[in-house]
Amino acid sequence: MKLCVSSTGKDLDSKVAEHFGRAPYFLIIDTDTMNFSVIENTAQVAGRGAGISAAQMILDKSAAAVITGRIGPHAFSALEVAHVEIYEGASGNHTGREVVEKFKRGEYRESVYPMGGPGRGRSFQD
Amino acid sequence: MLMEKRLEACILKAIHKRPVEVPVIAVTGGKGGVGKSTVAVNISEALVQMGYRVALVDADVDAPDDHILLNITLKCPLDVAVTLPVINDEKCTKCRKCVDICRRHALFQPRDGSPILIGECNGCEACILVCPADAIERSKRMVGKTYKNGTNNLTLFTGELIPGVEESSFVVNALKARVFDEAKDSDIIIIDTSPGTHCNVINALKGSCEAFAVTEPTPLGIHDLKRILNLLQVLHIKADVILNRSDLPGVRGQLESVIKAYNTKVSVEIPMDDLLVKSYVEGVPVVRMYPEAESSKRISRLSKEIAAKYIK
Repeated sequence: MKLCVSSTGKDLDSKVAEHFGRAPYFLIIDTDTMNFSVIENTAQVAGRGAGISAAQMILDKSAAAVITGRIGPHAFSALEVAHVEIYEGASGNHTGREVVEKFKRGEYRESVYPMGGPGRGRSFQD
Repeated sequence: MLMEKRLEACILKAIHKRPVEVPVIAVTGGKGGVGKSTVAVNISEALVQMGYRVALVDADVDAPDDHILLNITLKCPLDVAVTLPVINDEKCTKCRKCVDICRRHALFQPRDGSPILIGECNGCEACILVCPADAIERSKRMVGKTYKNGTNNLTLFTGELIPGVEESSFVVNALKARVFDEAKDSDIIIIDTSPGTHCNVINALKGSCEAFAVTEPTPLGIHDLKRILNLLQVLHIKADVILNRSDLPGVRGQLESVIKAYNTKVSVEIPMDDLLVKSYVEGVPVVRMYPEAESSKRISRLSKEIAAKYIK
């Protein structure tokens, strides 16, 4: 399956970015082959709606599931509508590669409600 | 000096465009609680006493209170709404132009469906403009109200934002549109802005012939005065200073250097005045309740100067 991991860097050894919408990069990883592509999150510094925009980017790359630390309510709604599975709780101490291994072992549980509060854009001015 | 920002000539022209011939005077000041509303209400009342028809505009839509200073109940409400886009699934071609244009990233396009509104729309209508299929309809979201109260020759226009809603500048714009539409017969329009230098203050100041920045001789007053004078400079609006509580033992030296730096002047000093405070508590403008008070005399004198300069 195609798995999206929010990442602080551009490869599988980069640490996980803990906030979905504000992640610098997304890695779209084929869990069978471990081949991956990188998306730069162009909405990372958006005043508003970074999460929704990020959801759109990864959906366009056909991700079937997302692993991240926390996800805001708007991005959560978007991914839910798009039937993308959401796994929260990944730690920024782990690399993308480690997270995929943990995912394969079933260590993450699918989120049914967003864990995070309002998106971080809340604290930004227009 | 604060930041320097230059606006293009076309923007300045748009800012200064006034749909009516009536002169517009703004009362502003940067800092909160310096007496903007008290000054605006009393200038308006003084002008009415001189026989003029005055439209007073309470553009502090987050906390409008000129009606309290005038002891009147707000009447004639009109709703202020912003557009909420509604996408018609049958017409939508899923081209995604609306999703891409939205600066708020409020729209999201699922794999096979039409875009849906998930984020916080501010009603800018860019999506409607770019939609090639005419598939986006306008629904409405309430953001506030405007009111109109007429008493003798003083008409008070008030804007009121729904608490917690972000669109204060939309309410200011709607309020000014109503004023320019309904106050054509006035001799002068006095706009009482909110504190600050943000977009709803800018919208309140647009079209002003002159702005009076009310301040007090305190470090906070001077600091915020500098900011509002900076804004007025950016907007190319003639600025004057009204020094309230002028006899506070304060920082006159600093005040004078700011005034000099911005090439402006103190038009009037209003000293601390118990009679002004009494009238404030009663909800009657001091120029009406205690015309003999020192503050009344000074505000009346300033009002005469304003009338002489602007009212034909």
